[in-house]
Amino acid sequence: MSNKITLSHGNGGKHMRRLIEDVFAKHLSNDLLNTESDAALLPIQNQQLMTTVDGFTVQPILFPGGNIGSLCIHGTVNDLAVSGAIPKFITLGVIIEEGLSFDTLDKVVKTMAEAANEAGVKIVCGDTKVVPRGQGSEVYFTTTGIGYKTSVVDYSTKLIKPSDKILISGSIGDHGAAIMLAREQFGLSGNLKSDSANVISFCQSVYELEGVRFMRDPTRGGIASVLHELNQATGYGIQMNEADAPVHDEVTTICDMLGYEPYYLANEGRVVAVVDASVAEQVLAIWKDIDHGENAAIIGEVTEQHQQVVLQTELGGERIMHEFMNLG
Amino acid sequence: MSLNNAKHWLQKINDLELPEKIKIMNVCGGHERTISNAGIRSLLPENIELIPGPGCPVCICPEEDIFLAIQLALNEDVILIAFGDMLRVPVNVSKKEVRTLEQARANGADVRPIASPREAISIANDNRDKKIIFFAAGFETTTAPVAAMIAEGLPDNLFILLSGRLTWPAVAMLLESGEPGFDALVAPGHVSTVMGPEEWQFVIDKHHIPTAIAGFEAESMLAALYSVLRQKLDGRLFLDNCYQEVVHDGGNKTAQRYLNETMDVTDNNWRGIGIIPKSGFSLSQQYAAHDARLVFKDYSDDSRRRIGEMPAGCDCAKVVLGKIYPDQCRLYGTACQPETPIGPCMVSDEGACHIWWNTAPRKSIKQKSVSTQVEESVV
Repeated sequence: MSNKITLSHGNGGKHMRRLIEDVFAKHLSNDLLNTESDAALLPIQNQQLMTTVDGFTVQPILFPGGNIGSLCIHGTVNDLAVSGAIPKFITLGVIIEEGLSFDTLDKVVKTMAEAANEAGVKIVCGDTKVVPRGQGSEVYFTTTGIGYKTSVVDYSTKLIKPSDKILISGSIGDHGAAIMLAREQFGLSGNLKSDSANVISFCQSVYELEGVRFMRDPTRGGIASVLHELNQATGYGIQMNEADAPVHDEVTTICDMLGYEPYYLANEGRVVAVVDASVAEQVLAIWKDIDHGENAAIIGEVTEQHQQVVLQTELGGERIMHEFMNLG
Repeated sequence: MSLNNAKHWLQKINDLELPEKIKIMNVCGGHERTISNAGIRSLLPENIELIPGPGCPVCICPEEDIFLAIQLALNEDVILIAFGDMLRVPVNVSKKEVRTLEQARANGADVRPIASPREAISIANDNRDKKIIFFAAGFETTTAPVAAMIAEGLPDNLFILLSGRLTWPAVAMLLESGEPGFDALVAPGHVSTVMGPEEWQFVIDKHHIPTAIAGFEAESMLAALYSVLRQKLDGRLFLDNCYQEVVHDGGNKTAQRYLNETMDVTDNNWRGIGIIPKSGFSLSQQYAAHDARLVFKDYSDDSRRRIGEMPAGCDCAKVVLGKIYPDQCRLYGTACQPETPIGPCMVSDEGACHIWWNTAPRKSIKQKSVSTQVEESVV
């Protein structure tokens, strides 16, 4: 077998079957995934379902702390988890650029399988296409996630009130900074790892709590985008306290060098929650007890004092946190 | 520790008994960012004003140079590379025409943003069959690496459209104008690293203005602010180096040698300001074969200098010279925003308008929207 994927691996014939069997079925097999069938039967009874869709195009596809395979599981299950659902099933669309090596794809799918096992989800059906070199960027994934609605609250920004507290489950900006390091164009290196992980345990741990209003995973656009989303949806001011924001020194250094702020960097294993002030300390204590939750912190609050997203700086000054804008 | 030090300097500043208003200018976009990001303005006594001055190379890059880069990209079979910020600066042509390098790219020109001058070499080596034009605009700090690159030898197919500027002549021009508009100066950190702190001695010796060199941490900035305030109060002026970690006497001799070997210091145009004597870099005669201005000399168009000012209604020229604060421009936050910049100060990460828009270092942020703040200027 050639060690590179060619267009023949997408033509529906023998090569394609081998690609599916030797890579995808090998790692992802489970009782619901039937590569012979065009559709999967999901054993669901008396459950409220939640569903989400996501696409993954990260470059580079391999980065410290994960790869596009683990990322596509984490991104999908996290969207369900923060919405109050325990993720169960994932469908997977794969678009491969001609020339990708089998070894790389195997590594990505193996990591994907490990992430799926850890998250307790099954990949129930999939589709594979190969596009000519130059028409893709190594490999793209699109997913649909399906989960069981479990939280007692229907999380919504509509529930948010002034004096509510804003929490984050861990350090800010690790994924975005790790990706920047992994992109060779900056000529930087370091030990920083992506935070890519599922946040199911963080979310599930508060599903029974009445005071939880809203949760979001601060991916693209970072925590600043979540805070702006809260501001725009509620009309209330958002006050964030820089001194309380957990940011690793390496992330701060990279940001200083490249002129970024950590609050705009993507996170792939964090959850932001808005909770009633009366349960904030309780949620914080629960989160700090969870694996990788040691840096969880209350980083801000909802306020009627102003109508903007305001950062109280470490020094004690105040300034606006502008809305994320990627001008390319 | 540095946070504690910063708080210590802040306390010392607040403990000073300042009899009168004092206006302190910075001349580095990085310094303005430090001030704004740390919210320093909101922590200082009312009578201390921090005004951004000529600290943004993109903002003062002559319009005719950007126009030239756009024309070369559109009409020659070249790859035009430039620092990312330059791609979005509009020139003064009608909206039907190509106004930015970004629009030139959308129209099919091969325009590529780079982050480091070294990328110019690799792009030239990867595209031996193409002419590569590197539009190198910047102050001493970015021009020095360009000089090093030239001194070490350029690929035959790489041409430099140099638009380098020196910082101190702009400050000298302000001081000699009779209305400098500031009482103390925070001198640039990185520029001093390259050129040496001595360049700024003239501000004290000739103009008797308190001066301190600052770094890019709040701690270093506050130490410099405290220093110039004390100098003013005590009447004892000296060039204070508050960025000793990297600013050393004499500066970076190697960088200076590269600049001397490859470039001449010439009288150059600053957008919205005009010609400042001995304020720019031009490629030396021996590199004429790589000088895009000479190789593509048919494109030079002196008539553009007459129309090459700031766009109508835009006060970038006043902002660059520290005559007004960004939010005193009528277009700030209304017609001119980062998504739809009119003047260059709203484009660049180093531009005062862009920095202010992103961090809103206003007196009070307890206001409903930014547009209402245009009337309520800081001064």
